[in-house]
Amino acid sequence: MTMEGFCFRKLDVDGALAEAVDRAGAITRGSFLAGALGVSAAAAVADEAVAQDGKLGKVDQGILNYALTLEYLQAAFYTEAERMKAIKGDVRKAARKLGSVERAHVKAFQDVLGRNAVGRPTFDFQGVTEKPRPFLKTAVAFEDLAVAAYGGQAANLKAASAVAAAVSIYSVEARHAAWMRYLFGLNPAAKAFDQPKTKSQITQIVRSTNFIAAPPKTKRKRAPSFTG
Amino acid sequence: MRDASSARRRTRTAAAVGVASAVTVALAFALWPSTGNPRPMEGPALPGPSRSALEVPKPEPLRDKNVSLWSFVRRATTARRTPSRAGAAVARLATTTPEGTANTLLVLGRARDTAGRVWVRARLPVLPNGTTGWVPRRALGGYRSVHTRLVVNLRRRRATLLRNGRPLMRAGIGVGLDQSPTPRGRFYIRNKLVRYRSGFYGPLAFGTSARSAVLTDWPGGGFIGIHGTNQPELLPGRVSHGCIRMRNADIVRLGRLMPVGTPMEVL
Repeated sequence: MTMEGFCFRKLDVDGALAEAVDRAGAITRGSFLAGALGVSAAAAVADEAVAQDGKLGKVDQGILNYALTLEYLQAAFYTEAERMKAIKGDVRKAARKLGSVERAHVKAFQDVLGRNAVGRPTFDFQGVTEKPRPFLKTAVAFEDLAVAAYGGQAANLKAASAVAAAVSIYSVEARHAAWMRYLFGLNPAAKAFDQPKTKSQITQIVRSTNFIAAPPKTKRKRAPSFTG
Repeated sequence: MRDASSARRRTRTAAAVGVASAVTVALAFALWPSTGNPRPMEGPALPGPSRSALEVPKPEPLRDKNVSLWSFVRRATTARRTPSRAGAAVARLATTTPEGTANTLLVLGRARDTAGRVWVRARLPVLPNGTTGWVPRRALGGYRSVHTRLVVNLRRRRATLLRNGRPLMRAGIGVGLDQSPTPRGRFYIRNKLVRYRSGFYGPLAFGTSARSAVLTDWPGGGFIGIHGTNQPELLPGRVSHGCIRMRNADIVRLGRLMPVGTPMEVL
């Protein structure tokens, strides 16, 4: 089995994903990630190096926010899978472990970014967390995606402490990718060299999934008509 | 004499060979760097690893003891008695509420039918109160979680909001009159209405999935709300048409603490 050309559209065993991608009116399809990337791009243009007070500069903050968004996505994915209890056996054990690690990544990024951390988006995994095979396939794609994203941005970080942070997570994501590939029946270490992905490539892929969704409207400026 | 002479020759030869070997080895080591082949794991000292910007927390397992999940109707659908397309229809579910918000459902469980389709068991905002049904997963949006729970005690006329199982807020309340009682049972918070002009409903109102069993022709379907009041002197007491009334300061505080999707139990 090969993962060459693997993309999220191919996860769509029920047609639900393709339908979601084509569905009009997805208010902010991928806009959250695009926002995080926008911060990164703007910061890169500003060409600001590391702040003198020891805090991360805007370039690094933008990249870490981009990473945080991907970590939100992964953490929510594994957490939902654990809550749904639809995944069993070794895959369930792996999902629980990876969920705890991805949540730790989220917390670490939130702590270092403080008030500059992007907020958590809302997700709609459209049932992928409730079926073992699509779950595993998506997990492989997520982990490979994370490795490609970190690989694509690590060299753009300015501060050595930010590089060290990214590298420390990059290798963990690579292990996750290998683990999920093994469970899915793929070669865990298929290549001698990984191919990094650009920000726009990552955005395009995540957008195509519709996994980042607009939150439901539950609040409204309107007089009640309750019984009183 | 011959033996002694030959032993000296052997000694000299051995010494010469030894010296030559030592010189060869020394030359080899001396020339090695110049050939571009550094000795393994030797050479100039390198800096230590940089300190990471991240304070790495210990990965924690999921603690979900007091978590409830909710979702919303993304596509109008029919809730069924069993997780099957052949199951008897329980209720038709629209995508929006009478207030124009997303039609939220409290998630109670899940199952797969014989064709592998996922179905979600949900608490429904329909009469009779307490009705549950199975909804196709594909008709719903993403899952969201809450860690809160609202307990309404009609006899004590008191509402208690819990977070992670611990009381967070208590308030005296007004409940339904005898002829229009507040329904007992398990419900959930459907929506939140704000910034309207109504002294009667106070500054903020929550919509619930509970419905009056007697005021069925009430505009909007007779849903029970939790809201403020312009008659706080009546609280706590039996004063309403079924809604749960709070003092305005209490409902504003509840508005800050209680998210939509919170399960509500009326005792």
